[in-house]
Amino acid sequence: MNLIEMNSICKSYRNIGFETKVLKDVTLHIKEGDYVGIIGPSGAGKSTLMAIMGCLAQPTSGEYILDGEQVGKLNDRKLSRVRNEKIGFVFQAFHLLPGVSALENVTLPLVYAKNPPGNIKERARELLAKVGLEHRLHHTPGQLSGGEQQRVTIARSLISDPRIILADEPTGNLDSKNGIETMKTFDSLVKEGKTIILITHDQEVAQHAGRIISILDGQIASDSEVNHEAQTRSL
Amino acid sequence: MNIFSSLGIAIKALRAHKARTFLASLGILIGIASVIIMVAIGKGSQQEVMDVIAGMGENLITVNAGEMKRRGGRLRLTGNVTTLTVRDANRIMDEIGEVERVAPFEQKSMTAKFGNNSAETTIAGSTIDFPIVRDYKLKSGDVFSERDVKTANRVAVIGMTAVKNLFGEEDPLGQVIKVHFMPYKIIGVFEPKGVDTNGLDQDDLVLIPLSTYMRRIANQTFITRIFVKASSRKNIAKASKKIHELLRENHKLTDDRNDDFTLVSQLDIEEMKKETTEMFTKLIVGVAGISLLVGGIGILAVMLISVKERTREIGIRRAVGATRKDIVRQFLYESLIIGFLGGGLGVALGVGLTLGLTHWGNWTLILDLNSIWVASWACAGIGVLFGVFPAIKASKLDPMVALTTE
Repeated sequence: MNLIEMNSICKSYRNIGFETKVLKDVTLHIKEGDYVGIIGPSGAGKSTLMAIMGCLAQPTSGEYILDGEQVGKLNDRKLSRVRNEKIGFVFQAFHLLPGVSALENVTLPLVYAKNPPGNIKERARELLAKVGLEHRLHHTPGQLSGGEQQRVTIARSLISDPRIILADEPTGNLDSKNGIETMKTFDSLVKEGKTIILITHDQEVAQHAGRIISILDGQIASDSEVNHEAQTRSL
Repeated sequence: MNIFSSLGIAIKALRAHKARTFLASLGILIGIASVIIMVAIGKGSQQEVMDVIAGMGENLITVNAGEMKRRGGRLRLTGNVTTLTVRDANRIMDEIGEVERVAPFEQKSMTAKFGNNSAETTIAGSTIDFPIVRDYKLKSGDVFSERDVKTANRVAVIGMTAVKNLFGEEDPLGQVIKVHFMPYKIIGVFEPKGVDTNGLDQDDLVLIPLSTYMRRIANQTFITRIFVKASSRKNIAKASKKIHELLRENHKLTDDRNDDFTLVSQLDIEEMKKETTEMFTKLIVGVAGISLLVGGIGILAVMLISVKERTREIGIRRAVGATRKDIVRQFLYESLIIGFLGGGLGVALGVGLTLGLTHWGNWTLILDLNSIWVASWACAGIGVLFGVFPAIKASKLDPMVALTTE
């Protein structure tokens, strides 16, 4: 079953009378448990695609069905609920609340949850332990290294137990060691059954995915399965 | 998302910027505090004026010879009228049922001497009912008797200011002072009364029998004033009306002629003073409105800065599931808390200063609980009113744009 079904999605921005078409007729289906890399040069429309996929923006036209629900026409309240329950975001710039402890940053999505679980703190602690930060629970983002901040972000993206993890250049602000660590975390999340969508301009990072979609000028240029075994052999 | 977590977020955000929160509430704080103090001052001075009016004599009606006109906020006699007499006073007493007592009165500023001391004072002539009508109380000695009035004896009852000026620390009772080369024996001393509504010292007074005054001092048959005590507050208006009719008849005034006397009752003076108080109240309301507006603009400015500064935070919250309403609520609570904080501190400061000034500053201030109540709600209202725009602005931010704003 398709978890994400985008049919003829267009997105344009109107700016002082000029209409800029960012996405042109994008059709895209992603199955549950897929590990998809979306690549393309900057300005190609990757971020806009991610914003629509992540329900942070609505398409100008086209149909978007997420988990069987038509989300392209939802109002703000319902769209926010979808973000809250079904999507976890991992950003390049981490986007943690400054001055707030790692633990509280991780629990932030549950503040807005309709039916938050009872053991919020306990869950957040478990997730932080899972990403190796059990000794940094009460540190604020300012007291954490880049790699550590990214791990807090990943823990936050998992707190609502979402079906989809949307990662926007997750390694962009990290050194290579932390980058590799982060990618390993994603690899293990896929094994747990999460659907991961990775947006990057880095071919090497994209190679972790099982399927690579390349975007060029607002359109899908190519969509191919990655043969990992063939790769390993060639190395 | 429930109210408590919204409140919690707002409180946390405000605590993270303590100085800014305080500055934002400062306008409201000062506004509320000054309103409370001003209302207290207004109430206090109103009370003082009412006390003075009541102190002039209970249920008092004053008949003044001549037409009185208001000049510079005060009633002043115009012209020199000689038609008011003791006979008028007697007829008022005898013929009007609502009148309890009457004191015909005449006064003149003169020099009184005691030994080598001399002092300018008010020499007044009246009857034995004068102290009762005008609510003068005796400190020592006695008021002159009916017989003193009949035989025009040279006796005097003296006020505290005159005592101080003439006798210093000496006991005046039984002493003899000289007025216009004539000796007068002091037989009584009045308790101090303070100033009247026109700010004149009511204790700078030497009271002698009216008959003595007419013969020895003024050498005239007319008087300038009659003090009348109505039988009750309710009867003041009725008594005034009857006095008016009686005097017109007694003075043989035909319909085409104006009054040659003026009646001023306690109610009239209260009414006059009320006008002043009402103007003061309007002034307070105006100032309060302006200061609350300024305070509100302070909140507006700080909230707009806060929204701008926290654009990214708004983006993050929206990304993890906050609705527009959640964001509006968060910022609205912040401005509401700032409003309440300013209001609370303002009430505390206002009440504190009011009590302090009353206790140490010797001011007459009266705390008005209504003003505190209204002020508290006003600042909550201001907080919300001036917080709505920034809050809505925050909620309208595009999450994607907000996230990429540096």
